[in-house]
Amino acid sequence: FRFKDSLAEDLQSADLVISHAGAGSCLETLEKGKPLIVVINDKLMDNHQLELAKQLHKDGYVLYCNCSTLVETLQSMDLSALKPFPPGQPEKFASFLDKVLGLQ
Amino acid sequence: TGGHTTEILRLLNCLSESYSPRHYVLADSDKMSEAKIHSFEQKRTETYSKSQFTLDRIPRSREVRQSWISSVVTTLYSMLYSLPLTYKRKPDLILCNGPGTCVPVCLSAFLLGLLRIKRTIIVYVESICRVETLSLSGKILYYFSDYFIVQWPDLKKKYPKSVYLGRIV
Repeated sequence: FRFKDSLAEDLQSADLVISHAGAGSCLETLEKGKPLIVVINDKLMDNHQLELAKQLHKDGYVLYCNCSTLVETLQSMDLSALKPFPPGQPEKFASFLDKVLGLQ
Repeated sequence: TGGHTTEILRLLNCLSESYSPRHYVLADSDKMSEAKIHSFEQKRTETYSKSQFTLDRIPRSREVRQSWISSVVTTLYSMLYSLPLTYKRKPDLILCNGPGTCVPVCLSAFLLGLLRIKRTIIVYVESICRVETLSLSGKILYYFSDYFIVQWPDLKKKYPKSVYLGRIV
């Protein structure tokens, strides 16, 4: 299972995803509407990865724990409390750019 | 590189065909982005028939957590490549989202602007991963870009000259 080109298929069929805090992993999972538990590794962690995980947790989109509290989190989790993740809006970017370049 | 490429292609996906031809600049060590770009451009031809784009590589300007001083040296080295490339392409617009590679390219364009050779609009979109702090590229290009876009409100507060449009990827 080491390095697949894409985890999209596995994601699609999963009921719960447990992942590290990489932005790609988090966002891809949330966009597929799957419940997500983000596991932070304090020792390896690059602080900036933590920012997104913390914010997503604060906004109620993911659960979050570290390696030692994972089991406890799995036992006590309430996935229904997670909010659905609204998609980003790149069209706002396109409108903005069209406007500043005078293309509208 | 990986995450940056995915984000920027999502942004490009919404742009009209006025944004053509597209010139992609990659780090020489980047192995994954080229395939993603080809795939994106290929998909685009389904909607827009022709797709005009070029792909160039320059030396990678900085490794993760490389020291400040050596980063200045490696970035200057990358500029030996990015400057003639930017001069050749003379882009009207540069769109970037934070990998180290964007720094020499934007600085080259900025320089060509100062020298009155070509005025390029530089638009920087900070990655969605950046909620509270800017990346190093962001900290530098905040001062050199024409439009600096952030995706979280805390950054808008800290960097008042930035543009906040909400989450755009």
